[in-house]
Amino acid sequence: MVGMSLLRTAAAFTARLNPLKRTCQSSNLLSRTVVRSEQVVVRYGSHGKRMFIIKPTDFYDRRFLHLLKYYILLAGIPVAALVTFVNIFIGESELAEIPEGYEPEHWEYYKHPITRWIARTFYDSPVKDYEKMMALIQMEAEKAEMRQLQLEVRRHMREKGDGPWFQIQTLDKNLIDHSPKSSPDN
Amino acid sequence: MPKDHDKDVYPEPPSRTPVEDRQSSLPNPALILSKLFYYSVDLPVTAFRDIVEGIQSGKRSHYYHQKFRRVPELTQCQEGDYVCYYEAEMQWRRDYKVDQEIVKVIQERLRACQQREGPSYRQNCYKELQQFEQVSKAFQSRYGDLGAYASARKCLMKQKERMMAEQQQA
Repeated sequence: MVGMSLLRTAAAFTARLNPLKRTCQSSNLLSRTVVRSEQVVVRYGSHGKRMFIIKPTDFYDRRFLHLLKYYILLAGIPVAALVTFVNIFIGESELAEIPEGYEPEHWEYYKHPITRWIARTFYDSPVKDYEKMMALIQMEAEKAEMRQLQLEVRRHMREKGDGPWFQIQTLDKNLIDHSPKSSPDN
Repeated sequence: MPKDHDKDVYPEPPSRTPVEDRQSSLPNPALILSKLFYYSVDLPVTAFRDIVEGIQSGKRSHYYHQKFRRVPELTQCQEGDYVCYYEAEMQWRRDYKVDQEIVKVIQERLRACQQREGPSYRQNCYKELQQFEQVSKAFQSRYGDLGAYASARKCLMKQKERMMAEQQQA
């Protein structure tokens, strides 16, 4: 009796260790019962046996990838369609010699139509940018020259003292009241 | 279709296709493969290109290469004339870009020559080799170690150093 219970627990333990390799169930061998075979679920069709596969959740990963694809394609597909239609229906420009007496506009120096549109709509012409930069440089140069001159003039006026700067105004002589000085020992 | 390359600058060696003298009755695999390539790749691509050019036929716009006037260089500017400095600097930068492209073109020619000639390139491409050596030496001596913040002043100073070194040698 004790041996049978020991054997039963050992069989149960081995069954737990390796559930796939249960060739002969201990319940059949030792207790002389028969497994009822009509209970097996048989639904083959083309899928095989239905399994409940236990694995960690992939909900968050799949949700992330779905949202990534969605947001990328939300802007990506219109942009790709736009670029495709521009390339097919408008097409790139051809290189040509500058005709005599003609000054091309600043966007006519680019090849692709979208670049030309950006240069025409948003950007100033490079000539204008050049002139703006030269104007800034000229203003800064004039300011620097003015400052240098001012320092030079300061130096001269301090040294010689005959200029309008560095003169401390004193009171007018006529405002001095000489009446207390007329009688000594007052 | 876009223009082909210049045949004088990149000459192709004369083709040595042998006269065909077929002895076997098996089909020629080279012919089969070339026909396959033609029907599967070349014909659809050319047809698509023709359709697209048909759509775009009337309204081709043109683009031009900008021509810049020459302005006085850094050596011809008065001292303190910052506007003149700026124009000279911009001109020097444009010239730097042009020189870089020149070196690239010469390099490309040498590479094409080497590819054509194969193992005997040192002998057959002697002109291209000499041209490349001369151009790259000149580029190195003028613009060589100026670095990323190169400017017209630094190039001028480098030229001064070069002239001083030459004078000391002479």
